[in-house]
Amino acid sequence: MAVPTTPTEQRRLPEPPTITKRALSIGRAIGSPVGAVIFAFVLGAIVVAATGSDPFLAYGDLLCGGIGLFCPTNVYPGFQISETLVYATPLILAGLAVAIAFKASLFNIGAEGQLILGAIATTVVGIKLANWPGWILLPLVLLAGTLAGAVWGGIVGVLKATVGAHEVVTTIMLNYVAQFLLEDLIVGGPLQAPGQSSVTAPIGKGAQLGRLVPQSGTFLGLPGGVYRVHAGLFVALAAAVIFWFLLQRTVFGYELRSVGQSTRAARYAGISVPRTIIMTMLISGAFAGLAGAVAISGLRHSLTDIYRSETTGFDAITVALLGQNAAIGTVIAAIFLAALHIGGQFMQGDAGVSSNLVDALQALILFCIAANFVRSLKLRLPALRQMPPSKSKEAPGVAAVATDTEPSATPNVKETT
Amino acid sequence: MNFLLTVLGLLVTGGFWQVAIQETALLLLPALGGVISERSGVVNIAMEGMMLAGAFAAVVCDLAWHNPWLAALAAILAGGFMALIHAVISIRFRADQIISGIAINIFAAGMTVFLLDKIYGVEGIGHVPPNFLLPTLNIPGLNQIPLLGQALFQQNIVVYIAIIVLILTNVVLFRTRLGLRLRAVGEHPQAADTAGINVYALRYGAVITSGLLSGLAGAFLSIGIVNTFVPNMTGGRGYIALAAMIFGKWTPLGATLACLIFGVGTAIYDSNSTLHFSPYLLNMLPYVLTIAVLAGLVGKSVPPAADGIPYEPGSH
Repeated sequence: MAVPTTPTEQRRLPEPPTITKRALSIGRAIGSPVGAVIFAFVLGAIVVAATGSDPFLAYGDLLCGGIGLFCPTNVYPGFQISETLVYATPLILAGLAVAIAFKASLFNIGAEGQLILGAIATTVVGIKLANWPGWILLPLVLLAGTLAGAVWGGIVGVLKATVGAHEVVTTIMLNYVAQFLLEDLIVGGPLQAPGQSSVTAPIGKGAQLGRLVPQSGTFLGLPGGVYRVHAGLFVALAAAVIFWFLLQRTVFGYELRSVGQSTRAARYAGISVPRTIIMTMLISGAFAGLAGAVAISGLRHSLTDIYRSETTGFDAITVALLGQNAAIGTVIAAIFLAALHIGGQFMQGDAGVSSNLVDALQALILFCIAANFVRSLKLRLPALRQMPPSKSKEAPGVAAVATDTEPSATPNVKETT
Repeated sequence: MNFLLTVLGLLVTGGFWQVAIQETALLLLPALGGVISERSGVVNIAMEGMMLAGAFAAVVCDLAWHNPWLAALAAILAGGFMALIHAVISIRFRADQIISGIAINIFAAGMTVFLLDKIYGVEGIGHVPPNFLLPTLNIPGLNQIPLLGQALFQQNIVVYIAIIVLILTNVVLFRTRLGLRLRAVGEHPQAADTAGINVYALRYGAVITSGLLSGLAGAFLSIGIVNTFVPNMTGGRGYIALAAMIFGKWTPLGATLACLIFGVGTAIYDSNSTLHFSPYLLNMLPYVLTIAVLAGLVGKSVPPAADGIPYEPGSH
């Protein structure tokens, strides 16, 4: 980076972080999402109580159904955890997709569409090459899904970078295009399995990710076959590591974050903003496409009309925001949200409280995060506001770039949040 | 060739246009709401959720009170309430308006089904009897005109209301001081504030208006076109309305034209059994067209300058 520093001007290295300092910074990072969750749960409890159910029973069920804690004896905690991890697997990947776009100040609402494209590509390759051996077919189907998602996201990036089409609108539109494309393919279309409706043939055995629990014998008191948690979980965790490495340890990640902080400052620093936007949307789409691929390869094995009602791509927005767009945060938030959903299903059966309460909780979490959003994260519209560059972010390099263009701005201004 | 002939055949049937105009009006109400909201500088992608809330409230109240007018009023208020949440969060708290909009949509989808389960349980919500639906209004004389009569003058009362709202919106937005102020607030709130215009009040009013109109559209759907509520029954119409608003370049008349195109598309879709054409590809049309507009293929579509930017007094 072309930061003109002489040895005397050189930035002093931050003092070695003491335990309290680190605790404070962690506290700051998780304060907002934890606060949002508490806010949502308190309001949710009021709603549950007001509609004549017991909020403690309902939340107890969420805890048991989601993460297997404090369960009655007839419930198998291991099974509940397995279901939560199954739900969380594509959610982690889709959450990373939304998060990486957020990092560049792009709002990818199109993870759902990119995920559907990924699922379609995975299924097509998995069916056409069904007889190929697994060691080549499995990577191939995952790659196909990733690429298809990248293309779908890339369209958005190109439109944004070349003609300035707002990514929020194009992604919403492309979600529906993907949805109808899928319907066209599986309802009476070329992919529909003979003699069946709204479903394709299953992908080849070699294209399927393995289950993590041995399918024969019993595991934690239940037959191994009921545990659906699959190797896609490791794919998702590996993707989270790649996400972290890409953002924090590569030049491109630095450029991406610079563009996210201030397009103008990034431009002054010699970064090609259009190129960064296109690359970011390609990668974002790739993560979402991989989410679709993993769900097909590890769990569903064929395309169905479940995508009419599935909401992974939208839940991913909550995941990214709750996870503060960090890799580890996204993983935790995805597992948290998955636990809510799986717990919600259990709650519906046990406490008679509709599992849709979970959607309402999710919306309340979003409201709460949104209300603090611009002020606490300055994620959006950084170039439009003449604020001094934010110092609380994890990117001192970006602050240096920004101060470079505005020498008068003091980087020590406290966040007023 | 056969396909074209069938479509041409449809275009000269009164019944086809009746459906097309009905669907146009259903999209037009939220689309106009979107135009009003975004012209004031508040991005609104929550028409879907506001419609859904309206559709639900309408059926619940109609079943309880057996009065479609009160039910429609309840729907309007329900839509307005959702809009109020959006307004408070995005204006008072200066939140990200897109996140707030998404939250509204998720909230409406979740809460309607939650309440549906709670109020009606396993029996389900049931159907509104025909005589308690929003009525169809035949304009005597005019409804006898061939083609046009069936298309325009044998319509549900909400269709006429939508046309009145369209005229009002266009006049108010471009011919009155209020409209000028609203547009000023959406283009340059700082200048408007300096000129003594109350930015917040206008934005609150605009966002809530969009909710009232979307709520009415919801009632039109659930107790006008059909007679019950099913989960997620709006099925993306709020987003098509959003597309229509952008396609129409943030103007009432442009949005109307877009709604008409999308409405005709839906009517073709509804009569598709004779067409042998993939219904899903047809369904894609509004979205693909909107992307084409955004890509500059069909003229440039530029949002109001301050659209989506929370206003803070004293900035700039």
